[in-house]
Amino acid sequence: MNTKPELSVIVPFFNEEANIERMHAAIVDAVEPLGEAFEMVFVDDGSHDHTLERAVDIARRDNRVRVVKFRRNYGQTPAMAAGIQQACGRILITMDGDLQNDPSDIANFLGKIDEGYDIVVGWRFDRQDKLFSRKIPSKIANWLIGKVTGVPIRDNGCSLKAYRASLIKEIPLYSEMHRFIPAMASIAGPRIAEIKVRHHARRFGKSKYGISRVYKVLLDLMVIKTVASFTSRPLLWFSILATPFALIGAAAIAYSMWQLGMTADGIPLPIAGSGVLLLMSGFMLVCGGIFGELIYRFGDVRDLDFSRLTATISGPPERQLAPQGPAR
Amino acid sequence: MSRIPVPVAVSVIIPVGQRYSDPRELCADYRAGLRALGRPFEIIFVLDGPRPVFEAGLQQMASHGEQFTVVALTRPFGEATAVMAAFEHASGQVVLTLPAYDQIDGSELPKLVAALGDCDMAIARRWPRTSGSFEKFRRNAFHGLLAWVTGLRFSDLGCGARAFDRRVLEEIQLYGDQHRFLPVLADRKGFRVREVAVRQSPKDRFEGFYEPRVYARAFLDIFTVFFLVRFTKKPLRFFGMIGVCLFAVGALLVAWLVAERLFFGQELTQRPALLLSTLMVVLGLQLFALGLLGELIIFTHAKQIRDYQIDRVIAFEKDDSIPSVRSGS
Repeated sequence: MNTKPELSVIVPFFNEEANIERMHAAIVDAVEPLGEAFEMVFVDDGSHDHTLERAVDIARRDNRVRVVKFRRNYGQTPAMAAGIQQACGRILITMDGDLQNDPSDIANFLGKIDEGYDIVVGWRFDRQDKLFSRKIPSKIANWLIGKVTGVPIRDNGCSLKAYRASLIKEIPLYSEMHRFIPAMASIAGPRIAEIKVRHHARRFGKSKYGISRVYKVLLDLMVIKTVASFTSRPLLWFSILATPFALIGAAAIAYSMWQLGMTADGIPLPIAGSGVLLLMSGFMLVCGGIFGELIYRFGDVRDLDFSRLTATISGPPERQLAPQGPAR
Repeated sequence: MSRIPVPVAVSVIIPVGQRYSDPRELCADYRAGLRALGRPFEIIFVLDGPRPVFEAGLQQMASHGEQFTVVALTRPFGEATAVMAAFEHASGQVVLTLPAYDQIDGSELPKLVAALGDCDMAIARRWPRTSGSFEKFRRNAFHGLLAWVTGLRFSDLGCGARAFDRRVLEEIQLYGDQHRFLPVLADRKGFRVREVAVRQSPKDRFEGFYEPRVYARAFLDIFTVFFLVRFTKKPLRFFGMIGVCLFAVGALLVAWLVAERLFFGQELTQRPALLLSTLMVVLGLQLFALGLLGELIIFTHAKQIRDYQIDRVIAFEKDDSIPSVRSGS
């Protein structure tokens, strides 16, 4: 690829031999008329069927396509993360490989990015899935994610999203975080927009999701919440956690001392012991916080980088304003 | 140090630890098998600490004009470190590690290397196997536990004969005694691992018994692998789960004691249980905090951590159909 494309469309595929050709045609039909230079990154997530062969065939015909082959199946987050790292465009679009997203929505996403948003997420307002096994759990999950993370998005599960590349490449994506990309990204303080997208029922192939993921989602949610809220100031966070325990401990010790001084019973051992334990525990937590500060200082993920990414500089027009990756 | 002049296809690494047999017979047996392979090979002995008897044998072989490389470590560093040290001198695309004592029949080596055709790592499994019933039970218990912990079923990790693509060792940093678990770690990295049944050497006999220390060691190793496989990237799931459970039990106990004090007049000063429950609360809290710190480490280094291994990137340049294939991770 000689010139850097403006736009990268990232599509993970896992056992989608029936869909990949159609997906490619649909993307080309939707994006070509926009007149922007674009590329497609197809991530083969260790499919067992002929997805890879089909993808390589497509790449042979269309040199805008790059195929990233995984050594085995790793899941959707790694596939998205790999696609994001491999893409060269200034704007990245991610979507599912199963034709449930409609590439003709891409134009609207680009419009929103040009308005100055860093992340645009799709909302499948007319979702074509089973009500009980898919739609209701998803409604609850989205409500919960919104409440907990403070990023009220109606449809976190929708894969069709657009990102400013310089921002998303800095966001750590691991585990099952693809559901929470907006929430994870919120630590960088981006401007997030949500737009309605079309959603089609699955026509070919089989669905790969089930309700069993809810438990994992809840755990990940908790981790994100704690991590996002405490990473940049672990000492403060740990100190707040330590305070009630230390206070109760100090009170118990004071009470024991008072007993020792004022009554003939002597020191009440269980209370004094518990007090010492609690007080020490508070102290240990503060020490943990200091360690946290050390870890944060020597880590790669810093508020400073994020602030650079999302800062608005008044003056030049929006197009030039887009940051060209953080200075390191 | 001496080297074979032709480009080497197969590098054979033989780590020499506490157990070894006569190097001359061993080497002759292996060489016969390797010649049948029909590909140029090199042999690298790694002496894991001073092994005077074995060294004397090697000296004698060298004086007869046999060619091999010897890497001698100053003290025993463990098999994995020894293999990594030898790997630095290995130039073959295929790496073969072989035990320094008779475990398998040398004539089976071509079969092991041939298995690499459709996998990245082929590990030998001695079959049919002659061993006592207690030995069998011990082995089954070990592999059963490992299968339960990692979900991977192997049947003879004690066998040191393994053939693999050099990419495996390039990507996996081994240390200490992890050599035994290399197949598990390789599988985690996305390499295809296969077991190949090979004939057991008639001389492979272990007489005597293992000390309890050895069992404790094996158990701890499994625990390490368990942690590596399940929780390295999710420390809060591990520490948090235990921590929250401890905290909850402790807090319930405290609540109960306080309720008894308030409503039934049970003096807290008379209750050592208060100490126990507070201890549980405190420990739970500390564990949770440890998990958080672990999570912080992961989060701040997430950009270096890859959850995935890219086999290759396939792209076609304009006006030709020769793919530019980059392999990488």
